[in-house]
Amino acid sequence: MAKVTFPLSRIEGHAQVVIEVHGGRVVSAHFEATEVRGFEYFVKGVPAEQMPLIVPRICGVCSTAHHIASVKALEEAYEVEIPPLARQLRELMLLGQLIQNQASSLFLFTMPDRLGADSIFQTAEDNGSNQKSAVIAGRALQVRKAGTDLITLAGGQFIHPIKAVVGGVSSGIRAEQAEAARAQLEAVLPIACELFDYYCEMSLELRDRIGTWGDDAPAYYIAAIGDQLPDFYGDRVRVMSPDGEIHANFPAREFRDHLTFEEIDYSYAGQTSYMGQVMRANSLARINMTSRMGTSRADEYLMRFQQAFGKPAHGILLFDLCRGIELVYALERSKAILAEPLDREDAQVPYLPRDGEGYGLVEAPRGPLIHRYVIENGVIAKAEFIIPTVHNSRAIERALQVAANRYISADQVNMELEHAVGRVVRAFDPCIACATH
Amino acid sequence: MKQFAVLQLSGCAGCEVSLLNASEWLDQYRLMYMPLVSSAYDVPEVDILLVTGGLRTEEDLYSLRRAAPRAKQIVAVGTCAISGGVANLGDRPEVREVFLSQAERHDLPHLLPTCRPIDVGVQVDRYLPGCPPTPELFMAALGVLPDFEPSMTVCQECGRGKPKDMRPTHLTGPQTGDVLPEICLINQGFLCIGTSTRGGCRALCTRPGYPCVGCRGPSDAFIEKESEAWLTAIQRVFAHMTAIPDEEINQALRSPQLSMFLFQFSDVSSTGRPPRQKETML
Repeated sequence: MAKVTFPLSRIEGHAQVVIEVHGGRVVSAHFEATEVRGFEYFVKGVPAEQMPLIVPRICGVCSTAHHIASVKALEEAYEVEIPPLARQLRELMLLGQLIQNQASSLFLFTMPDRLGADSIFQTAEDNGSNQKSAVIAGRALQVRKAGTDLITLAGGQFIHPIKAVVGGVSSGIRAEQAEAARAQLEAVLPIACELFDYYCEMSLELRDRIGTWGDDAPAYYIAAIGDQLPDFYGDRVRVMSPDGEIHANFPAREFRDHLTFEEIDYSYAGQTSYMGQVMRANSLARINMTSRMGTSRADEYLMRFQQAFGKPAHGILLFDLCRGIELVYALERSKAILAEPLDREDAQVPYLPRDGEGYGLVEAPRGPLIHRYVIENGVIAKAEFIIPTVHNSRAIERALQVAANRYISADQVNMELEHAVGRVVRAFDPCIACATH
Repeated sequence: MKQFAVLQLSGCAGCEVSLLNASEWLDQYRLMYMPLVSSAYDVPEVDILLVTGGLRTEEDLYSLRRAAPRAKQIVAVGTCAISGGVANLGDRPEVREVFLSQAERHDLPHLLPTCRPIDVGVQVDRYLPGCPPTPELFMAALGVLPDFEPSMTVCQECGRGKPKDMRPTHLTGPQTGDVLPEICLINQGFLCIGTSTRGGCRALCTRPGYPCVGCRGPSDAFIEKESEAWLTAIQRVFAHMTAIPDEEINQALRSPQLSMFLFQFSDVSSTGRPPRQKETML
């Protein structure tokens, strides 16, 4: 029995892949999260209304999603209905995060796999064939900065937002600020499209070289998006079967009726499954459930994607391409929101704190995120964080097992396996800080 | 070209995300190691090593000690590297034992008894506080912004007016209502501690109307003192500008949301180590 350990990079947080081989046969492929901080333990006793400020620190990449899931959980417990303006501004924060995240995943995390580089910041002197990297790096940072700037504008602070408060948001956006942000997004959109087109081209070359868009079997898909158009604010969770039928559709409050969570001894992150089955969250899940993005350029990309790969599509590397469609969508959609008046007075409503239980759902870049709080005497008695990466754990491991079988035989381990492991894991864009919290 | 590396221990990667919002370094530095964006598996010899995250697991301590001798200069970046950060809330006695006994996994990196700042493990040359530090502060730390001159306090960078006749009698709770745009948040009853919090962030939170939580730690005036000196100074400001009872301020300063920042520099003094010197602060 031999164990091969692959350290992971270009993902958020600390994790490794351990593949166990016996006589040339792959026995197991584990995705192991190796860090933990204990948020569910230490938020006990915290005044409930401070949660939206503390939970963004679960993850600096997904902080906006936690910030908003947190206020939504409190609002459900307090039975507060927020005004429409607050919902718009919160959507804007989530779009800013989507821009930042999808640009990072595409151009910083996975682009190097297409270029055969270790990093997009590798300079020409490191590798003569990668002169393109330097050009891409500057533009990639420019695109993701547009996302961060949008979070700052709509959310207050740039990494750990502060403006979503119980009952709404603390302030709107003045017309001249909105106009400046719109102009920035306008300028970044063609750059993002050009980078994404290049990314698609390089992905085709990669597919030709490795001969697949990713092995593995069809799976269930889970997402909290609208039934007509994308909506990251999160209303209900939907599960799609491998053949494309909506199999379940439920509010966050009922997640336990559909999803099973188990802890595992080889990882600080657990795993969830749907009726005992492997499911996938993140970009491909959303695109598989979407017929229309509702913005012009994103719709063109979506149409081309669905013509080429069908609906639902299952290839693992298609997750990456779906992120590009969503990046374009998020840029266009936030431009449209910024064109509306956002400095009206009705940004929040009063509320009465009370004890009880609340669930907050958003569609984070990695999938449906749920915060559940039980509040007693004004403080958190119990908190649960239902994390999208955890929904993907079993899917990641199944895909790793397939990759391992492909590259491991009785007499050798083909070292392409190392690259395959990286590509598979990065396609799911896991976030370990969130998964272990 | 100078070389730098970013070692991420147990944290949220918010510091890395902030750094990636700056691009001024691209033509002055080579990034030699930063697992978030680069497939290099070991820290090579570098001019500057930025360390983010706190010491939570044995592996954190091992990676830090292994990397430290290869760096000419080590910078502790962000609240977690400086104090353990938000994970410090897990070191409250009523939480710690339950957490350690239930969360730990036998075959994975073991948890240290408490979450510690990195200067418990290695000698740190400079500190860059903030949760996270802004991209501009990162660039200042790398020395690519020669003209960067931070103010002493957040308050000086905020610029809201302080009307003498506006003296609230109680703290404004989380139900904020409308925040007046040009008036000091303290005059509006918010628990803003920007009056004595280290400047350099450009009053990022207070200008749009959110009170300062002190994530950059105290200004030079208090950095070498016990946290009690800082807390007393904050109370004096409120006594001077408002009619809010001392006890109310005192209690609010100890709530979790603030305490994770307010005590980030005092943690070390309780270990019997000397306080961090103001010359090492950015």
